[in-house]
Amino acid sequence: MRRTRNRHKRLDGFQRLFLLLVICLTALLGAILCTIHGPTPGLADAVAQFQEQSGVESPVTAVLLNFRGYDTLLEVMVLLLAVIGAWSLTEAPFPDQITEISPVQMGAVRLLAPVMCLVAAYLVWQGSHLAGGAFQGGAILGAAGVLLLVSELPWLRSTPVFSLRIGLVLGPLVFVGTALFCLFFTGDLLGYPEGTAGWLILLIETACALSIGLTLASLFAGGRPEDEVVLEHKPVDQSFNGERS
Amino acid sequence: MIFLHADTPAWMLFPIVLPLIAGLLCFLFSRRTFVIALAAVLANFLVVCLLIYQLLVFGSMRCHMGGWQPPLGISLRTDGPALLMLLMTAVTGLAITLYARGYFSYRIFDPPRAGRHQRQQRFFWPLWMLLLAGLNGLFLSNDIFNIYVTLELIGISAASLAALSGKPASQLASFRYLLISLLGSLTYLLGIVFLYRSCGVLDLDLLQNLSNNGPGVRAALALMSVGLLLKTALFPLHFWLPPAHANALAPVSAILSALVVKGSFYLLFRFWFEIFPSTITTPALNFMGTLGAAAILWGAIQAMRQHRLKLMVAYSTVSQLGYLFIAFPLARVDGSAQLWSIVIFMALAHSCAKSAMFMVAGTVFLHLGHDRIKDLSGVRATLPITVFAYGIAGVSLMGLPPSGAFIAKWMLLSSSLASSQWWWALVVMSGSLLAMIYVFRVMSRFFVIPEGVSFIRPAPFSPLLEWPALALALISLFLGLVAPWPLHILSQGSTALAQSFPGGLP
Repeated sequence: MRRTRNRHKRLDGFQRLFLLLVICLTALLGAILCTIHGPTPGLADAVAQFQEQSGVESPVTAVLLNFRGYDTLLEVMVLLLAVIGAWSLTEAPFPDQITEISPVQMGAVRLLAPVMCLVAAYLVWQGSHLAGGAFQGGAILGAAGVLLLVSELPWLRSTPVFSLRIGLVLGPLVFVGTALFCLFFTGDLLGYPEGTAGWLILLIETACALSIGLTLASLFAGGRPEDEVVLEHKPVDQSFNGERS
Repeated sequence: MIFLHADTPAWMLFPIVLPLIAGLLCFLFSRRTFVIALAAVLANFLVVCLLIYQLLVFGSMRCHMGGWQPPLGISLRTDGPALLMLLMTAVTGLAITLYARGYFSYRIFDPPRAGRHQRQQRFFWPLWMLLLAGLNGLFLSNDIFNIYVTLELIGISAASLAALSGKPASQLASFRYLLISLLGSLTYLLGIVFLYRSCGVLDLDLLQNLSNNGPGVRAALALMSVGLLLKTALFPLHFWLPPAHANALAPVSAILSALVVKGSFYLLFRFWFEIFPSTITTPALNFMGTLGAAAILWGAIQAMRQHRLKLMVAYSTVSQLGYLFIAFPLARVDGSAQLWSIVIFMALAHSCAKSAMFMVAGTVFLHLGHDRIKDLSGVRATLPITVFAYGIAGVSLMGLPPSGAFIAKWMLLSSSLASSQWWWALVVMSGSLLAMIYVFRVMSRFFVIPEGVSFIRPAPFSPLLEWPALALALISLFLGLVAPWPLHILSQGSTALAQSFPGGLP
């Protein structure tokens, strides 16, 4: 090994010092984490106590969408922000000419994509009582989207941008809408009315799974769709022409 | 069914929900985005005014999300400092929104690059609205993990905004900004892990009442402080700030410098002096004060050496952030009440003055096509309002009498002399002197008119480019005259402050 290593790969003095510091810090933090003792019950008991009222049987879903639903609402926004940020930077690099898709690949897409959608739907449904939910379902949907993207299907490019935007915003919008609906009826943001919690959570999860899937696929595509630029060429705002002349 | 009355705590949800919805709509629709954003910012301002009225009449309030009480659920709370920060965000945000409209409209008029500028505007509005929601959520949140989520919201939208101009320099700077911001967030998250393991709760009130002082809490506080210091850009960790702020579009620079760094500072201050005061030691306070002093001097010296106006203003932010930290070592003498009034005044004044200054820099850049300080001569003749705004904002940065910064610096001086820590007073005064030098260096350029050149041609500018900056500069100037009013808000709901000013306010 020593012979193959060239000079550039060696750490210089500053880097070694830095590495040593990081190792010491990690060891110190690990030691502190081990010394923490005493009663640290956490919130698991409280979650178990109110599980009945949460409308779902899975404790994870209960925490994510009922007890701490507000956190999840903001997290969904963070995902959307990632897409907005990526779209603001660059255009998606689609190849110029449409290449012929091999029949094997097409067959795989035809076989896998529907199954993936089905699995995603099942995961969302399962979220109410077992592990699963919007994020897991969305991840599978995102994988389906990636499969379609790498197959370079021609119809992907001609998808109207506005419908893509609607799909991306649907989950967050339904989430905020439900939160406000609850605010209106019970006086608490995301305080589900008696007996409706299970259904409202399923509604939120379905919409969010769709949007999360689209979000992940859009991030994989790596930029805004092409139509975006064409869409931008609207006439210049007339109100400022007068002031400038 | 519930109706909103004047005393309903649910009002405090609207500063978060309104910009969120506006952000979604701005992303969905390509037209009328400015109208949506303006409506959200105006409504936000009105709701914040209502919240302040609520605080004055009914006192501090809690709002439990989903009706779940802590420790299980998340709660929001309003109190004096939080509402003043909200007010700062609302006022500065309103002015920045108007300015951004003028800025983009002016740039879109430039035919060869209209497409690019329209695209920038297209993405500016949703990012700015979501950033606003994140900031409001941060100031109101009373849950340590929820604060992490708002930090993420702020960090990602701020980095995307900083990259919006599309120039390679700004993309590099904003990529570094994104990495630093993520590193800060993750360090903060690691701190939460330690805290949750030692205390078992996430609600700030409960953490405050536990007053746990074990090694776990100390480690947690250290980790969270380092993460937040990275985001606040205190002196040795400030390296990412000047390129990121100076290379962004002018409205974005104003947002980043005036609001985003204040968010993480506010949290840091809250943790140190409200939630974990028993964990804080005097050496730690002195250490922060020393870093603050170094930031004041280093930032000011760097600001004097810059050749570009925007970089100078960005380094001035590094310097001004130091004043917030120099208040730390005075805590042992004054208690947290006086400290809150110092840092809140400093933050309010700096936020208004600094956003005004970045707007001025942006307008000058639009007018001249560059912002090299040595070629700025004669701007006074064509952009009198902008130059006036620059002067007023400069007065506020220097801390001359009627301004809000003067009140803050006066309180800093008097408490450092009263506690016989005169060296802090020395740093504050020399910081002001250096600020004067870098402000006047540009100011004198504005007034020089080169011989043989007649600047009669009036600048064909939209009023939106000039008046918001002037309004903000005037607010920061006259903040000192209405000083009792913010102090009155600050004293609501906190008994400590009411005791510290028994016979009225200074």
